[in-house]
Amino acid sequence: MYEKGRDLAAAFVRKQVSRRELIQRASQLGLSVAATSFFVNQAMSQAMAADFDWQKHKGTNLKLLLNKHPYADAMIANLDTFKSMTGMNVSYDIFPEDVYFDKVTAALSSGSSEYDAFMTGAYMTWTYGPAGWIEDLNEYIQDSDLTNPNYNWDDVLPGLRASTAWNGVPGGELGSADAKQWCIPWGYELNNVSYNKPMFDKVGVKPPKNLPEMVETAAKLTKDLGGPYGVGVRGSRSWATIHPGFLSGYSNYGQRDFSVSDGKLKAAMNTKESKAYHELWVKMIQESGPKNWSTYTWYQVGTDLGAGASAMIFDADILGYFMNGGDNKEKGNIHYAPFAANPAASAPTPNVWIWSLALSSFSGQKEAAWYFMQWASSVEHDLFGARKMDFVNPVRASVWKDEEFRNRIDKSYPGYLEQHDVSAPGAKIYFTAQPLFFDLTTQWAETLQKMVAKEVPVDEGLDQLAASVDKQLKDAGLGG
Amino acid sequence: MNQISTFERIVRGLLIALVLLFFLFPIFWILLMSFQTNEQILRIPPSLFFEPTLQNYVALLTGRLQTAAGNLDIAFMRNLGNSLLLSTSSVLLALALGVPAAYAFARYKFRLGESIAFTLLSFRFAPPLLVLLPLSLFFRQLHLTDTYIGLIWVYQLICLPLILWIVRGYFEDISPDIEHAYRISGHGWWKTFRKIAIPLARPGIAAAGLLAFIFAWNNFIFALILASASKQPVTVGALAFVTASGIQYGQIAAAIVLSVTPTLLLALYAQRYLVEGLSLGAVKG
Amino acid sequence: MALTDSVRSSMTTATQHSQTATRAPARRRALRQALPYLLSLPALLVCIGILIPFFTAVYYSMMRFRLNLPMLKGFIWFDNYISFLSDGAFWNTLSISLIYAFVTVTGELILGLGIALLLVRPTRLNNAVSIMLLLPLMTAPALAALMWKLMTNPNFGILSYLVSLLGFENFKWASDPSTALLTVVLVDIWVYTPFIMILLLAGLRSLPKQPFEAAALDGVPRSFVFFRITLPMLMPYIITATLFRLLDSIQQFDIIYSMTQGGPGDRLMVFQVQSYLEFFQYTNVGRSAALLIVLWAITYALSNLFIKHWLKLRERAHGPA
Repeated sequence: MYEKGRDLAAAFVRKQVSRRELIQRASQLGLSVAATSFFVNQAMSQAMAADFDWQKHKGTNLKLLLNKHPYADAMIANLDTFKSMTGMNVSYDIFPEDVYFDKVTAALSSGSSEYDAFMTGAYMTWTYGPAGWIEDLNEYIQDSDLTNPNYNWDDVLPGLRASTAWNGVPGGELGSADAKQWCIPWGYELNNVSYNKPMFDKVGVKPPKNLPEMVETAAKLTKDLGGPYGVGVRGSRSWATIHPGFLSGYSNYGQRDFSVSDGKLKAAMNTKESKAYHELWVKMIQESGPKNWSTYTWYQVGTDLGAGASAMIFDADILGYFMNGGDNKEKGNIHYAPFAANPAASAPTPNVWIWSLALSSFSGQKEAAWYFMQWASSVEHDLFGARKMDFVNPVRASVWKDEEFRNRIDKSYPGYLEQHDVSAPGAKIYFTAQPLFFDLTTQWAETLQKMVAKEVPVDEGLDQLAASVDKQLKDAGLGG
Repeated sequence: MNQISTFERIVRGLLIALVLLFFLFPIFWILLMSFQTNEQILRIPPSLFFEPTLQNYVALLTGRLQTAAGNLDIAFMRNLGNSLLLSTSSVLLALALGVPAAYAFARYKFRLGESIAFTLLSFRFAPPLLVLLPLSLFFRQLHLTDTYIGLIWVYQLICLPLILWIVRGYFEDISPDIEHAYRISGHGWWKTFRKIAIPLARPGIAAAGLLAFIFAWNNFIFALILASASKQPVTVGALAFVTASGIQYGQIAAAIVLSVTPTLLLALYAQRYLVEGLSLGAVKG
Repeated sequence: MALTDSVRSSMTTATQHSQTATRAPARRRALRQALPYLLSLPALLVCIGILIPFFTAVYYSMMRFRLNLPMLKGFIWFDNYISFLSDGAFWNTLSISLIYAFVTVTGELILGLGIALLLVRPTRLNNAVSIMLLLPLMTAPALAALMWKLMTNPNFGILSYLVSLLGFENFKWASDPSTALLTVVLVDIWVYTPFIMILLLAGLRSLPKQPFEAAALDGVPRSFVFFRITLPMLMPYIITATLFRLLDSIQQFDIIYSMTQGGPGDRLMVFQVQSYLEFFQYTNVGRSAALLIVLWAITYALSNLFIKHWLKLRERAHGPA
């Protein structure tokens, strides 16, 4: 029976047998689920090892720079697998999220060769790439000597692959044919609604389907719940205020941050439609957002949902995911729903944040570092993290089809799979890639703060913002 | 100053109570938080009553913590050790360099003296951010990146000017006559400095040393930029509880309590020297 | 035998002193002249290494130097500085930084002096209180700000709760443009008043007793004693404490960045926050360096002013050398 189980698992890994068949035949063999998955894991490691010399860099010492994050935790929990498969040694420096990117900028700008690979967000590569700090990974992925035949790069969700590839031309389309792959998507988050089901039931409302509905529902929740406020969104003076819910809704109305013509960028935040959208957004915060909105970051938005201070959030799905567990007061009460801000839109268009892995140009052992990166972004590790750890959201289509992962999520996170499945096709980065991303997006948040504080009317504020943005683009030689 | 009326006594008492309330209430609240779970801290409205737990301290001391996102490895005790090592050595070095220099500026008017003193002070007002990038390049050339020695050197920017200028003031206030008398009776310069000058300026040295220690303790930008994760101080260590799955306020509060303890002990120890001030007033000019 | 300038101008030229010098053998005299340099140079040498990075930074400030636009890199002399002149954001930063420094330091000085006077008698209780009051200073500002942010949160914050009990239901602390400055100033005062307090307390306690005893014997009014004896004698200490506080306050970063990131709007966009963003987020090294050089120049001028005054006071206290 051991032999038969092993053969069966091997056939499954070779994709000769479907998962359904595997389970049927395994149960005919009298194998338990655990035993089956043991065989499958074993077969996978063997499959991974096949046709590829994982031991090529045996004895090499790699050093990683990591952010304190559940994704890094999941990787560390599985790291021994990599070490024993390759004979390499891996050490890492973990820094708190608060100071992580400062550390990355400091290390790379001084040309330090200490770190071989590191975690990054896709937006950051718009700085690191042109600065010459990171490698174009296409050269590695396309090279069959360097990348194992089972890596299956095409399995990574296409929106994410495109969002992490840029040709370096300001305003250049993400994922274009001449784009460089600046980093490998590792785990990602998209923006939808996470809500407190008991609170919604108490007031008798359903999760809103679009922005006008959200404004209404949030106001009703704030009024009727007598305590908790309606909707949590970020508001601090940072680009991070723009990129989650706000930009997801904005792009759902077909609005862009810039228009690009003849290689020149021009601010596009002051169109009529954009102004109408800003009006709605500002009104929503004023009526039913958090009182201290302008200091709200990821942490406060999440904390409020988890502690029952807010009834819903329009933010990262995994933020809602985290708040449904741990020692949060409202754990088990959080449900999830897809959200298309524009009533006329057919599906959500969430902007995404992608935690990715990048290869430092200063590394003295790039090939070995790439070995680590392809393992850390492999189907096998992605599956391990998604099933056993909080490596959510996985970036691979095959992992999203995995029954064990789906069952785990579906059981404890009602609506999570649905919101993801509905939104994933439209999930990508909706910002225009350009070097002034952080300056200009931070200024956008600053303007939003002034609007919410009623220091400037929406209309006027956006015209001023557009004028200032155009001036800065021109000064940097990017505008017309 | 000696006759104090009952009325004044009451007013003083009330004022001191008010001062204590303002400055210590947040500390008291942090202390309470350190004995609460995150769920207890995040209650609406906040409450004074709770069932105390030691889990935050246990997590920090043992280095393992259960959170929403599984197990968290904590290097907090190591961070605490780094802070102790960095702050103590930096202050000791700054005292060894700064006290003699302070004495020189106070006692002797010498060519370029004030310029040197002012230059030393000017290091204090160069914003750290300004020198960080060049400094990290410079450190790589000298192979000082990620070494304690390099960090202790950079920490002199924080400690040395502070010690120098505060201690100088105390030396200037002490009349040189006592030292002269001692020298006349046949003692050398070094002995005079050690036996007379330093003991007389001790309150100032204690105050300056304590403050320099506190500023070194609270700094984290230098270590963050110039050293790897294994050499980070408590400040960076405590920020690790700001995690993607939520801010662990209980652990941060406990981390603050633990990180304040060594400094508080030092302050209590230095207190004997701080209060010497008045009793020594009699022997001064 | 002619005395050298440095010895002649020494503050310690008592008669017997110069006699000792004349009698001493030449070798010892050379040593004596070298002594002040021997004592102060090690301190200087240790710090001098920092000068190289400093000049590199000055060089950067005269460049168009953005890490992610390498092709635009070039030397532009003072263009970065000139562009500040017409930049409203720069003037906003300048005025906010100065206001912030002025308000916090004034507040801390008055409070710190008041508390030091309250605690001047070295009783056991007063000593205990003075040490306890150092606790806010011992809490790292970055962490203290995190805690203040929680305590002023409208849902879970104890301070918000207490304030709402007093009838201010909608007090928004750092998140409202009208109260943001007040809030961060409050935190700054909370953290740094103890710094001034402890320095002035040590100063007060080391003042000579005789003038006060004499004044008490003559029945001089207390306010007169305070303004004509205590304050002038304490002035050098006040100047030192204020100077250090001022240098730190005008460069405030931790508290403001942790609590508001410079917002709401651009309400608290002080120098260090702006140049931090320019460097670490926008990677605009040239502009960041230029901003910091301006900040450095301001602090340089301010401290020059203070030191001059301090030296004058010292001279007056000791009489001409």
